[in-house]
Amino acid sequence: MDGLGLHRRLEANAGLLTFGILVVSAIGGLVQVLPSVFQDSLVAPAPATRPYPALQLIGRDVYIREGCSACHSQQVRPLLAEVRRYGPYSRAGESAYDRPFLWGSKRTGPDLHRIGGRYTDVWHRAHLLDPRSVVPNSIMPGYPWLERRAADADGDIARRMRALRFLGHPYTDAEIDAAPAALAGATELDALIAYLQGLGASAGAPPR
Amino acid sequence: MMPAADLPSDFWAGWILIVTAVSVAGLAWLIYSVYFGAAAQEPEGDETVWDGNLREGSHPAPMWWFWTMFASLAFSVLYLILYPGLGSYAGALRWSQGGELEDRMAAYEAEFDSIRGLIAVAPLEALRADASLMASAERVFGRECAVCHGEDGAGQAQLFPNLVDAAWQWGGAPADIERSIRDGRQAVMVGWQAVLGEAGVARLTALTAAMHGTGQPIDSTHAGHAEYMQYCVACHGPDGSGNPLLGAPSLVDAATLYGADLAAIEHTIAVGRGGEMPAFDGRLDDMHVRLLVAWLTRSDHAP
Repeated sequence: MDGLGLHRRLEANAGLLTFGILVVSAIGGLVQVLPSVFQDSLVAPAPATRPYPALQLIGRDVYIREGCSACHSQQVRPLLAEVRRYGPYSRAGESAYDRPFLWGSKRTGPDLHRIGGRYTDVWHRAHLLDPRSVVPNSIMPGYPWLERRAADADGDIARRMRALRFLGHPYTDAEIDAAPAALAGATELDALIAYLQGLGASAGAPPR
Repeated sequence: MMPAADLPSDFWAGWILIVTAVSVAGLAWLIYSVYFGAAAQEPEGDETVWDGNLREGSHPAPMWWFWTMFASLAFSVLYLILYPGLGSYAGALRWSQGGELEDRMAAYEAEFDSIRGLIAVAPLEALRADASLMASAERVFGRECAVCHGEDGAGQAQLFPNLVDAAWQWGGAPADIERSIRDGRQAVMVGWQAVLGEAGVARLTALTAAMHGTGQPIDSTHAGHAEYMQYCVACHGPDGSGNPLLGAPSLVDAATLYGADLAAIEHTIAVGRGGEMPAFDGRLDDMHVRLLVAWLTRSDHAP
């Protein structure tokens, strides 16, 4: 049989045609996706990557709830301009404890993967409450309500950490037991700032 | 070059190689046989008639289509030879994304090699006299400093100090400014509510408000003077002129960071303040620090 004959047989048999389409469209995934699932450097945590401490974990959930990733990416690409501006480019292993990852796909604001330590807590507080008090031409909305809500308002930090441990995040019993105390007195604003200040720590090196 | 750890294991490298090679070979066979195989050589007119009047004929696809597919296939083979794509094969060009970035970084850094060392030790007057260097310095300020101190350097949000007035909390000499930039600063004004009580805080608030902007030594006849001499004098000095070594600002000049109204002063005295300037030593190189010091101490800066 040659190609044209094969084509005629496939076209005349709907079941065979469906199977053929499935095989052909799977080839890309078989070559590009499947091997990476078993590639250590892509799935294992990067050397300096740790599960989020309780306060940062709450901050991450606030970050997701407020939709920060709609405007801010968390992936510095290996391009000169980005590395110069943000710091070392992002590695897959740095997201090992991000469920879901927050790489994002659109930058209305700047990338945040290396934001940690770049500004002081005081600056973040002023900026999150009223962005234009420190960046006059910013179009970011303010988030004043974060200051009025306790970080442990839902009272379920231990359950969140246990759920993540079930998925493979190596939290110890001691860490989970100490989590509610770690949130005591903190607001969601404190939690979000703690999360932002922790971003980039997994890169190991200071930016630039 | 990619680090070895980023390569797939031998099994998966072989897997990628085989699936890719079989796919490319299969496509080549398909394209060839459709145009030159036995079935393609059959005469035209192999017609099927549907519903009595609907005729389906078979015509060979045009040759420009064949050449387009052939060119695509040739490109993919050439690409797989030159670039990494076949498992752990690194490609004839030894290209990698990380390697390209390193090359570009090196080329970028090399652009400044000849001037970097010169600027880092150049006399500040020489740097200030060069308009293009001052324009560069302003851009560095805009990128690194303006987010707190403001685009014009005049401070923001009653949290971040004005850098274009005469008042320098940590000293305005070039060496002081350089240290502030490199190592950062941490101010410590503790809260005095517990020590002074409300009446004491009120007396010192009144004293501070009265002295602000006068340029005179602290008024020794004021009701708060005794407490001032007991609690405030160690940092702010007997005359209230401050101590740049401790980051204690003058209380008698016209400059203010957190506000000079009674509520702001009372908050400062009762609760305390702790302004923090982060260290930029790891983020800025010597050339950039030198440029910033020159720009911040230029003559048209201070009023």
